[in-house]
Parts: sequence; C-alpha cells; structure tokens
Amino acid sequence: MVKFEKHTLSNGLRVLFHRDPDTPMAAFNLLYDVGARDEHPEQTGFAHLFEHLMFEGSVNVNGFDRHLQNAGGENNAFTTNDITNYYITLPAQNLETAFWLESDRMLGLAFSEEKLAIQKNVVAEEFMQSYLNQPYGDTWLLLRPLAYRRHPYRWATIGESIDHIRKVDLQQVKDFFVTHYQPGNAILTVTGNLDAEKVFRLAEKWFGELPGRPAMNRNLPSEPVQTAERRLVVERAVPSSQIYLAFHCPERGHPDFFATDLLSDLLANGESSRLVRKFVKEEKIFSEVNAYLTGSLDPGLFVVHAKLHGEITAGQAEEALWKALRDSSLGVPGELELEKVRNKVEAAHTFSESHALAKAMNLAYYELMGDADQLNQLMEKYRSVQPDRIREMALALFRPENASVLHYLAEGSK
Amino acid sequence: MAERKGPPPTGIIEEIPFIKPVEATLTNGLPVYLLEGGTEDILKIELVFFAGSYFQPSPLVCFSMVNLLKSGTMGRTAGQISETLDLYGTYLQEDAQKDIASLGVFVLNKHLEPVLDLFQEMVKAPVFPEDEMRTFLKNQKHRHLVNNQKVQYLARTYFNELLYGPEHPYGYRLQVSDFDQVERQRLVDFHKEHIHPGNAFCLVSGRLPENILELLEKKLGQADWPAGKVGSPPHYVSGTASEKKVLVEKPGALQSAVRVGRRLFNRTHPDYHRLMITNALLGGFFGSRLMQNIRQDKGYTYGIGSGLVSLLRDGYFFISTEVGVDVCQKALDQVYLELNRLRTTPATEDELQTLKSYLYGQFLRSFDGPFSRAERFKEIRAFQMDMSHYQGFLSELKGINSGQVMQTAGKYLHEDSMIELVVGKKGDAGL
Repeated sequence: MVKFEKHTLSNGLRVLFHRDPDTPMAAFNLLYDVGARDEHPEQTGFAHLFEHLMFEGSVNVNGFDRHLQNAGGENNAFTTNDITNYYITLPAQNLETAFWLESDRMLGLAFSEEKLAIQKNVVAEEFMQSYLNQPYGDTWLLLRPLAYRRHPYRWATIGESIDHIRKVDLQQVKDFFVTHYQPGNAILTVTGNLDAEKVFRLAEKWFGELPGRPAMNRNLPSEPVQTAERRLVVERAVPSSQIYLAFHCPERGHPDFFATDLLSDLLANGESSRLVRKFVKEEKIFSEVNAYLTGSLDPGLFVVHAKLHGEITAGQAEEALWKALRDSSLGVPGELELEKVRNKVEAAHTFSESHALAKAMNLAYYELMGDADQLNQLMEKYRSVQPDRIREMALALFRPENASVLHYLAEGSK
Repeated sequence: MAERKGPPPTGIIEEIPFIKPVEATLTNGLPVYLLEGGTEDILKIELVFFAGSYFQPSPLVCFSMVNLLKSGTMGRTAGQISETLDLYGTYLQEDAQKDIASLGVFVLNKHLEPVLDLFQEMVKAPVFPEDEMRTFLKNQKHRHLVNNQKVQYLARTYFNELLYGPEHPYGYRLQVSDFDQVERQRLVDFHKEHIHPGNAFCLVSGRLPENILELLEKKLGQADWPAGKVGSPPHYVSGTASEKKVLVEKPGALQSAVRVGRRLFNRTHPDYHRLMITNALLGGFFGSRLMQNIRQDKGYTYGIGSGLVSLLRDGYFFISTEVGVDVCQKALDQVYLELNRLRTTPATEDELQTLKSYLYGQFLRSFDGPFSRAERFKEIRAFQMDMSHYQGFLSELKGINSGQVMQTAGKYLHEDSMIELVVGKKGDAGL
C-alpha cells in the first residue's frame, strides 16, 4: 500500500508525496506526458534526443549534473513510446536542490547549436551500441512497423533511422519544448522520510511561478483493426534463429488488461509455466521462450518470443507455438495454476514497493493514467480476474488475422 | 520569487549510521548475519560459499553446480521444485563468481517456511540429473554463442585473459566446446567438497520474523548438514600478456569495444580507498573526466567509465567504452590524455568538492535498504573484513587532497603501464 497526498498547483502541475520512513534518501520523479508516439513521422527519435538535451543546461543553471553531484545526488531519465521520465535520488536533507534544478529546466533550456550537435552524435552512438551493433538488436525496428501501420507505435523510441536524428534543427527543439515541457503536462512525485507540508511548500516555491500553458491536444491516428496475418522473414549474421508472434491486445488502462497479463504469465513466467515447461524442459526445441505485454497506454502488443535450437526450422517452431497457444486457449487454468500466477504478480508488486524510487515512478505513472490510487487497487484487480476471462482473451487474441509474425533467421539456416 | 541564480544550501552527511548485522552461529558452525529493515514484509536469505570458479577442476563446473541446485533433489524433481518456487512467487538468485558461489532466495514473509524448506533441500541434497544438466548446458551454449557476437562481452573476456593468462582461473576464456564436456560426477564432487557450513556464511535481510534464528537453526543449522573440511586453495601461476596493445578483429562491427587497464590489488591493500577515489575522478561517475571529455565534449560514445575489480587473490583497474569504429583511435588518444592529466593536472577545488559530495551521496545510496546493506556486508565478509573498512573509506574521502590524488595516479595509473584491447575495428589512425 503506497499512501500518498496530492496537491495541484494553479499552473496545472500535479504533485504527489509518499512518506517512506525507512530511507535517508529522497526520490524525486518528474514525468512528462510526451513520448515517441507524439513525434512527427519524419522526425522519429525526437523525444529521446530531447531528453538528452535536458541535461545540457537551463536558463539559470550551467551544469545540471555537477550541481546535483554537489548535493550528493544521482539522476537519470528514460523515454518510452508514451512518456519521458526524469528521476533523481539524493540525501533527503538536500531535496531542495532537486526542486531548483528540475524547475529551472521546466522554465527554459539553454539551447545551443554546439550542444545539439554533440548530443546528436551521442544518440547516434547509442543507436549503434543498443540496436545496430548487437545481435538481434534491430528486432523491434522490424516488429513495430509490421504490427502497427498507422499508430505512431510503429517506430521505436530511438527513432526509425539515424537520419531522422541527424536532420533535427534547433528551432524544432525549441518548438518541442514549448509544446510539451510545461507544468500542466507533468507530474511530480516525491518519496522519502519527509513531511508533506514541506514538500508541497517547496513545490509552490520552485514550480508555482512557472507559467501554465494550454495543454496540447493529443490526437493520434488509431490503429485500424488488423484483418489478415502479417509476416516478415529476415536473415542476419546471428548464431541461431528466433521467432516472434505479436498480437494486438488491450492497453494498460483497459479492464481486460489484467486477464491478458495473467495469460502471459500462465504461458511463460517461470520455469513451471506452460510454454517453458513444454518447449524448453520437455521437448527441448527452444533455448528460451517468453510471453509478455508491451503494456502501453494505447492498445499494445502481446508478444510471444522463442529462441530456437538448431534442430528445428522456424516453420516447425511457429507451428508448435501456434498449437500451444490454441491449446491453452481451450483449457481453463486450474485453481492452483491461477493461484500461482496471482502470487507471482503479488510478489513482483511487493518487491517493487520496497524501493522508494520505484514507488515514486509508479505513483506518477498511475496518476498519468487517471488516478495514482489505481496503484493500490492493482492486486485486487488481478485477484478478481475470472478464469473464463483468461480463456476468452486467449481465443480473442491468438488468431492469425491478429498476428504479426517475424522470422529472424540465422544466415544459411533456411 | 525563488532565487534561481545559485544553488540552495546543501548539507553533507559525513557520518553514516552503519547498521551492524546481528551475528549468530548455528549448531553446525554456520555463521549467520541478520540485517533488519525495510517497509514491506519481504526478506532475502543467501548462502555464500567460498567456492567460486577458482576452485573448480574444469570449466563450467562451479557455474553448472550452482545453477542446477534447483534441478532436482533427493526428495523432489526439477518440475516439482519449479512448481513450488513459482507458486510462492519466489525469486532465486544463483551466482557463480570467480571466488565465491552463492544461492539466494527472495520471499514474501508469509511464504517463508515452505520456501525455506525447499531452499535447504536444494542446498543440502541436490542430485544433478544428467538430463537436466545437458539441457541446461545446451541452452547456455546457445547464449554463449550469442554473447560471442557482442563486442562488449568479447572485450571483457579477452581482457581478463590478457591480464591473467589463459591458464589462470581469473583469465580463462570459455570455449564453445566446454559446454559439451562437463561431467556430472564433477558437479557432485564439487558440491560435496565445497558446499557445506564450514565453507560458508549466511545473510538474512529484510523484515525479519521474530523466530528467524529458530527457523534457520532448524533448517540450516543441524547435524544433518555437518561442516566439512576446508582444504588449501589450489595454486595457479598467472601470466600477464607481454603485448601492450591488442586488436581482436570482428568483421562488420559498427562499434569497437575498448578496454584499457592493468593488474593492481584488491580492497585489502592500504592504498585501496585512495585509488577508489582517484578512479572515481577519472571515470567513476557521470561527472568524471572521461565521461565529460569523451562523451559530453566530443560525442564519441554513449558512455565511458572506469572501475576497480577486487578479487580475493588479486585486483585490477580498467577503462571501458564502446565507440564508433571511425572515432576509435581518437577516443583512445583522449583516454591516454586523461590518464596523463590525472597524474599531472591537479583537480581544482570545485572538481574535488563535487567528487567528494557525489561519493558521499553514492555511499549513502549504496547502504540504502536492507538488501543493499546485505550486499555491502557480503563484499567485506568475503574478505574477512568488518565494517571498519567502510569507515576507513569515509575518513580517506574526508581528508584526501588533490596532491594525493595525483600522487596515487602517478603511482598506479601511469599510461605506460596499461594494456590496451580493442575488439572490433580500429578505423583510421588519429592525430
């Protein structure tokens, strides 16, 4: 149970506080409601590049990191298809430094051509390090445009190509800031051994004077219902083949998300789960098999991913997977099996609540979805899923017309 | 109006309230350390054995032994074990390092008893079924082949080989054929010889139930699990490579993985704390000289850092990065320039102050929560040291000046003493 208090500033900034008596550190998490889905199709990767520029100085601050280090703080940020999230941990008595730094970069950035050029290079290196120079690293660059035709989830946060990053100019960066980086588009959460009154007073002091601007109206193209199976086969210089089956599935805020999530756990969470037991332990045709949801804010993907041993072809592997997915959709999970996946969810949830920073991130995320208190209702929602609903979701999802199939083949294995 | 031009006042904690673990010894001699804390009803139990790969008779024996503890016991099959672990939402943590091997379990307090029951069975009475072992090794071989495509992984393994030589357990680089040659009997023997209370300690951290010691005594402290003899460790001759610059070509690489470093010493050395602080200035955090120069100023890389590795019988220093092949030599030139600068250009007052403040905060962070405290304690307990080691670091941090940093760099991090490894391509020569 993560108890919290909430206060909304007149400029629209939502501030949430949770008291954690067990830590000398404070966590400070600032979520901006902007992600890769908000990018122009010709400027993919922009939100993430922008995240890098947030560390390059603001109106009154030269050296964001250095000032934070002076206060014993550490920070980082990440960009997803949905959000951009900045987080800091620092000794609780130095919390005000985080307010100073974060409010100043919401006030305005110290843009420069030179810093933009350097960070474009850094992001290009990141693109290579994380995606292009890794075995299987381009998987999601292939899978996203296969599964999504219109919705901006069709590109990855790093961008569709390095070229998009290279073309960004400074005016576009400034425009992006004005549109998205403002109090009404952000959620601040603080956790630590502090008192609420002090935290809200600091929030008023540092963020209260920032001007509120009208919120951006998000109007994203919705993904048309898929009507036929999609398929892509690529060959790469990798040691073994992998296959992906991606099915359109409900978004995180949807009532059926919980049944769908439990379905993925039944299939492949833990060594006793159905697919792992069957294919890795018994038949030994895969070295690994996974099933998971992208868990995005707009309708997401249910992904089944198998790493093949050399003895079988991708075609045989796919057939075996289909058979198992159809089969699991026929049987209703047993009481014990259901109890098992619910317990796993409970354990994961409880362990995530043992970190002050994780609590801060979770509160912000559920507040973005409408109400931070949903975080505290999660377990109840998982507990109340009916076995029938899991079976119905399997039947609804695991159909060829709803599938995007990627065969990622080792060269010469065809 | 908030005063935005300068930072708000900050305070620094120079005294860290170390929470000493509660110590106990079970009847069979197993030392136990309890670290209480946390907000949730969860805990972690970990058994640490002085039985890392250093002690194994042939490759992969230690790693396989630890990872197959869950694959069948006298009383339960692998399937039954995984059913039970999953039913209680338990996480197992198998760890096979160079010097130590450990098995940890994270569990909700309400499921502690049945999980502890299983845990003790896995540790005391594993049977290592041949079939489970073959499947495990086949899957690990698969993973190894994928890792062998990653320049970063290759750089780590080749670099250890350069430092210690291919025959030494710290330097041995796994071969693909090793995965086909593990013999089950070796696992059985290794377990019998090393996995016993006389060669171990137990860490329990989290929100501890009142009867935790009774439970541990009952499950892990009885005569059915007696302490065995601890033999003298094997002796190996290490040999650092004579080549100073090595290139391992990887055709088609877009980036090269770079390692620059040398053998030094572990945390028992009197200059260890000083070297830690010196290393932090060079490459130990985002504000370090390497990161600021090579990423933030030049844009050659997504990240670069340096570190010290403290092994029980040695230690080494390394710088690590991945850089585009076209800028690889330029990045290397800057690495050597920074090594030179470290021993010739004193840190400014501001630079040193930032470093100190950051390290205090980092130190506090690294002791935050019962599981982190358990990790910190494990690190020193493995070296038979106590919490005064960390106090020593804080005193050193408080007193160190820029002259001492330069002196330490001159003594241990001279650019001429480094071994350089590039995995990938070197690209065009730099300036």
